[in-house]
Amino acid sequence: MDATGLAQLVPGLAKLGGGLSIGLGALGTGIGMGILVGKAIEGMARQPESAGLLRTTMFIGVAFVEALALYALVVTFLLIF
Amino acid sequence: MNLMEHLQPHVYIPLKIGDIDISITNAVVAIWIASFLVFLTLTLAGRAGRLVPKGIQNFMETLVQFARQTLVVEILGEEGVAWFPFIATLFFFILYCNLLGLVPVFPGFTPTSNIWVTASLAVVVFICTHAAGIAKHGIGRYFKNFVPSGMPKGIAGLVLTGFMLLVEIISHVARPFSLAVRLFANMTAGHLVIMVFISMIFMISAFITPVSVVMAVVMMAFEIFVCVLQAFIFAILASIYISLAVHAEH
Repeated sequence: MDATGLAQLVPGLAKLGGGLSIGLGALGTGIGMGILVGKAIEGMARQPESAGLLRTTMFIGVAFVEALALYALVVTFLLIF
Repeated sequence: MNLMEHLQPHVYIPLKIGDIDISITNAVVAIWIASFLVFLTLTLAGRAGRLVPKGIQNFMETLVQFARQTLVVEILGEEGVAWFPFIATLFFFILYCNLLGLVPVFPGFTPTSNIWVTASLAVVVFICTHAAGIAKHGIGRYFKNFVPSGMPKGIAGLVLTGFMLLVEIISHVARPFSLAVRLFANMTAGHLVIMVFISMIFMISAFITPVSVVMAVVMMAFEIFVCVLQAFIFAILASIYISLAVHAEH
């Protein structure tokens, strides 16, 4: 293939990269959040008095994990547009 | 693509100082409205001044008490109440900015969906954490706290110190960056998802309207939750970073 032929592939490859980025990003995030919320529910079941503190800490953890998925989403936007 | 152009601000009054463009766009008007609403609701709630609150004073007092207890006192301790105005301002301003973006009338723009707004807030938090740490510990001791004590002597010690310093600096730089990107991406992504669902009506056919509208309503409800959660997360992370800088580390 000549150079113009290869260069024509670039926009399509960019969109493919964008799709892969968010897909793989959401993969690890889903697993992480599942573990996080599962452990929080387990803790709440063992000791219902600490449910409030566990809930607050769980939300903070969810925000941290979700931020990683959102970094992947930002890369997707950069690649698609 | 025309997806992102819905999120660009419209210019109302073009203004320029030299080379810098400070025109009044609908983004600017949206921030004005958000700050005016914060001022209005909190002042009205405070003026009522009943001992047993009811109405708007009750609602605002719940939020203020929540901000005082969960955001400041639990993390910074009793002497950290000095930070309460700053953290509460962050919380209320971001909350109102987020929720304003869900209303489809007049400005129709979420101020916090602009990376510059969230980056400015994150930079303010960054400056505050380091200023608090330096004010509490003094410049030398504050930067000494980056590296734990008890390093081995000689070349290994030097390399280890350099490495730990690098890790600490990277983690300190990543914090405001993650604060800004978390808020920006949450707001933008939520609105984009709703827009994708509604534009499905135009792009596929009119028969998909019930599905689209139901999905859009569900996503709006989730968006309200995300708006409140993100404001809470930003404020509590700012509080945690300040407490990390102020309390003796090692």
